[in-house]
Amino acid sequence: MGESVWAMRGSGYCSAIAPSAVHAMMQGVRYTMSEPSVAIRLRGLTRRFGDVVAVDGVDLDVFDGEFLTLLGPSGSGKTTVLRMIAGFERPDDGTIELAGVDVTRVPPYARDVNTVFQDYALFPHMSVLKNIEYGLKVKKVPAAERKTRALAALESVRLGAYGDRAPSQLSGGQRQRVALARALVNRPKVLLLDEPLGALDLKLREQMQVELKEIQREVGITFVFVTHDQDEALTMSDRIAVFNEGNIAQLGTPTEVYEHPATAFVAGFVGTSNLLEGAAAQAVLGRPGTWSVRPEKIRVIEADARPGDGEHAVPGTVREVVYVGMSTRFVVDLAVGGSLMAVQQNSEMSTDLGHLRGQRIQLVWDARHEYQVAD
Amino acid sequence: MTTTTATPRGFGYRHPRLRLAGLLTAPMAWLVVVYLGSLAALFLTAFWTVDDFTGQLVKTFTMKNFQQVFTNSAYLGSMLRTVSIALLVTLFCLVLALPLAFFMARVARPSWRPLLVAMVLTPLWASYLVKVYAWRAMLQPETGVLAWFLDPLGLSSPGYGYLGIVITLTYLWLPYMILPIYAGLTRLPNSMLDASSDLGATGGRTFRSVVMPIIFPSIVAGSIFTFSLSLGDYITAQIVGGKVTMLGNIVQTTYVTNLPFAAAVATVPVVIVLLYLLAVRRSGALDNL
Amino acid sequence: MHTKRLLTFAATGTAAALMLAACSGGSSSTESSAAAAGSTAASGAASAAASEAPASEAPAAPGGEAYAGPVGDGEGEVNILAWPGYVENGSTDPAVDWVSGFEEETGCKVNLKTFGTSDEAVKLMQGGGWDVVSASGDATLRLIYGDTVQPVNTDLVPSYADIFEDLKMQKFNSVNGVAYGIPHGRGANLIMWNTDKVTEPVDSWAATFEADSPYAGAVTAYDSPIFIADAAVYLMATQPELGITDPYSLDQTQFDAAMALLEQQKPLISEYWSDYTKAVQAFNSGTTAIGTSWQVIANLAAAEGGKIQSTKAKEGATGWSDTWMIAKDAKNINCAYKWVDHIASPETNAQVAEWFGEAPSNAKSCELTADKTFCETYHAGDAEYWTDVYYWNTPTATCIDGRTDTQCVPYSEWATAWSALRS
Repeated sequence: MGESVWAMRGSGYCSAIAPSAVHAMMQGVRYTMSEPSVAIRLRGLTRRFGDVVAVDGVDLDVFDGEFLTLLGPSGSGKTTVLRMIAGFERPDDGTIELAGVDVTRVPPYARDVNTVFQDYALFPHMSVLKNIEYGLKVKKVPAAERKTRALAALESVRLGAYGDRAPSQLSGGQRQRVALARALVNRPKVLLLDEPLGALDLKLREQMQVELKEIQREVGITFVFVTHDQDEALTMSDRIAVFNEGNIAQLGTPTEVYEHPATAFVAGFVGTSNLLEGAAAQAVLGRPGTWSVRPEKIRVIEADARPGDGEHAVPGTVREVVYVGMSTRFVVDLAVGGSLMAVQQNSEMSTDLGHLRGQRIQLVWDARHEYQVAD
Repeated sequence: MTTTTATPRGFGYRHPRLRLAGLLTAPMAWLVVVYLGSLAALFLTAFWTVDDFTGQLVKTFTMKNFQQVFTNSAYLGSMLRTVSIALLVTLFCLVLALPLAFFMARVARPSWRPLLVAMVLTPLWASYLVKVYAWRAMLQPETGVLAWFLDPLGLSSPGYGYLGIVITLTYLWLPYMILPIYAGLTRLPNSMLDASSDLGATGGRTFRSVVMPIIFPSIVAGSIFTFSLSLGDYITAQIVGGKVTMLGNIVQTTYVTNLPFAAAVATVPVVIVLLYLLAVRRSGALDNL
Repeated sequence: MHTKRLLTFAATGTAAALMLAACSGGSSSTESSAAAAGSTAASGAASAAASEAPASEAPAAPGGEAYAGPVGDGEGEVNILAWPGYVENGSTDPAVDWVSGFEEETGCKVNLKTFGTSDEAVKLMQGGGWDVVSASGDATLRLIYGDTVQPVNTDLVPSYADIFEDLKMQKFNSVNGVAYGIPHGRGANLIMWNTDKVTEPVDSWAATFEADSPYAGAVTAYDSPIFIADAAVYLMATQPELGITDPYSLDQTQFDAAMALLEQQKPLISEYWSDYTKAVQAFNSGTTAIGTSWQVIANLAAAEGGKIQSTKAKEGATGWSDTWMIAKDAKNINCAYKWVDHIASPETNAQVAEWFGEAPSNAKSCELTADKTFCETYHAGDAEYWTDVYYWNTPTATCIDGRTDTQCVPYSEWATAWSALRS
């Protein structure tokens, strides 16, 4: 294969899978840049549907080349934001800039973004190759170049032999990749992905998560990815914007969002909600407020064992023990009220811990792992 | 192998082919005997002649009727006129139905759709003749409703004739074009339109390259209705056609006194519709029906 | 009539196909008798020439023997095929009812079906199941030679005695001196005009046929092959050298001349009509200024306030004389005879004639009409008036005017010629 389809900066890539030195170089470029340029800038973005405010004054900067995920439950406004960036929805208020140009009133076909749809939206009356060529054809790219680029795009999603098939003859995962190729072949500045993996089964979804991330690294263009699946968000993103009720509850790297949830909502939505509140917090930590501790940070020890230095301990009764293969999950009712979950790796010779059910034990964790969250 | 015991499910359950045969025998018999049988009888009759005195059938083979139909320029003209009317009606129906169906399926609120469909169907509830006579009043030169609208614009009513027939038939068969297109458009996902726009296509381009090809089978289905219904009509021509006639009028004038000749004439639209269906089939539009 | 049209509308091709199933079955026995019948018609019309007619063996009269009688008790019902307006039981207008009394008196329940054209009547009769039919002259011979109706024993119909003599034993209701029906009434096809558009009184068909007609583009004509006879009537007066003596008996030259006249008329036409409601509307609205019409159209147009005048043209006119006939296989023969006597009786005949707008056939009817000048208006007893009225008849290959040295153009060719003219 000679020329790459999405050779953004003059570099060619041969495989969608194999990482290359260029990745590292590009990553290096991205992370060493002191002030990354902004690909998408949203200011005061608002969208109402009747009485419902779907998006309520969102401000967001998406940097060039980053993989940003809009994460949130359904109805949180994340898809509406994406559709406004694409141009399918008009904002009631606020502005959208793409690469510094205000496109708020620009129709979708004139915006330099492309979208991968949840249902793929492949045109049923066109072959796979024609689907991919469509965007180029509309932009009057000469036929020969069109064909070359489309074939290369198809190759890069490992569907080189499927060009003549009808979309209806492909599996879900294959359609998904065609949709991706159809968007990427246009070399957009920004790729928008609207829950593209939602319709796939778990195995395929996990495989595609890895592939998508790799492709994004290769082509180096900005990905804005919408999902309600926290694992997906954590796996793939450079940054995550957690949406709640039309607003961004927290914006940060996966680590930041997971380890330092800014609000109770984020703590609950990303990972398992594990909160100490009110009286319980006062009793255990000696401080009021709402505190979050991730379950895997909590150890289960004997009721009479002594906690280590810098550790907080709280006595409780085991309500439930769930064996989940790699780990065991404990649900513990605290003596001071409320309950916490703890997860232990089954790294040692696994034993059936079911006998602990109803036993009094202690939960301990390093005080550095507790974070106060906004109510 | 042990002997089978009777299952409570019954005979048909164990013999799906027989069950199918049982279900389809009656409708198939009806179709073959009445439908194809009458067509065959029509075709056969076209090769007979009538007794000059009593007008009764004489069952001797002759090509005279077809010769007459295909050599007389008057009949050939009538054929051309009938086909052109049917094509024009189909075209007019299409031009009117596309935006209407698009509005119903994609613009209007979903909760309004049943009402809109009902409104499209309302004309079908009225008697055919009532509607055609209403159009007679509409088209009346100088004093008709159309004249009343058009005169201030410096235009005049098309009156009774070719255009009157086309207008009236378009009115009559429009619902048969709207409904399949509407159904096709409701099945078209929104994301398909978004995707086209997203890939750089303007509204017009999306309509041409995505919407039209996807609803093409629906359009073909509608056109089969409008085309064949127009082709066989003769009452509309009688009432609003002025001097203009269609193939059906020839059949109507002659079928009692010269049935074989009428049969030969009646064979023409049957063949034309068959040719139309063949052409449509070759285009692949029937594959998705 | 409208419902009938709707039924036949569905799909012309298939409908025609379905119909032929009905007629081909019924015709099997008639082929030989039809050929023989050709000669009888000729001899019936002009017995002097009978010896020269082909296949001249004298057959028994078609339709078998007439009912010997006597007319006994009714069978309980009678199935009637009739023109609209001929059989009224009060459902159209409560005051117009000559059926209920008949049913009470005779115990014969009347089952009615109406038809819109003579062709339809013939087709229905051939299908069977009917006892009596009101047939016009262009249907009667087809019914007689088609072996569909039987001779009528006029002795069993007391009303027959009072029928106008010039309606009895005519070419269209008798064969070889055998009566096949009871005359019902008659009318002439008129020339009619809208006085807004045509200010000078008209007395000639010239205004509808001649190329220099001042009413070009506003002329109407009857949309049926039988209208060729109207052209022939005009030619009888204007081109006597053609030698036409009977407009329903045209040899090829005469026929071609009539068709040429119709081609000449075509550019003058605004619309042809076959549906009389359309004609009423066209005359009243002025879309049509002048043309062929029926008395009933003149009446309806006048009733709607139209400025309409009509007259019998000086060249003569086509017209109709209807005949009540009895089906050959009538199941209710006694009720059938009771009905034809009832409908031809002075009182009923007067009612029908006034309702329908035609000249009654019963001489005594004229004293019983509500409008005492009715018979005068419609020239019921005026034999002079009817001399140049040519009642509808069925053209056949054997010339019915008695010529034997030539072949005439049969009605099937009238139909195709008409359809070609209209194409």
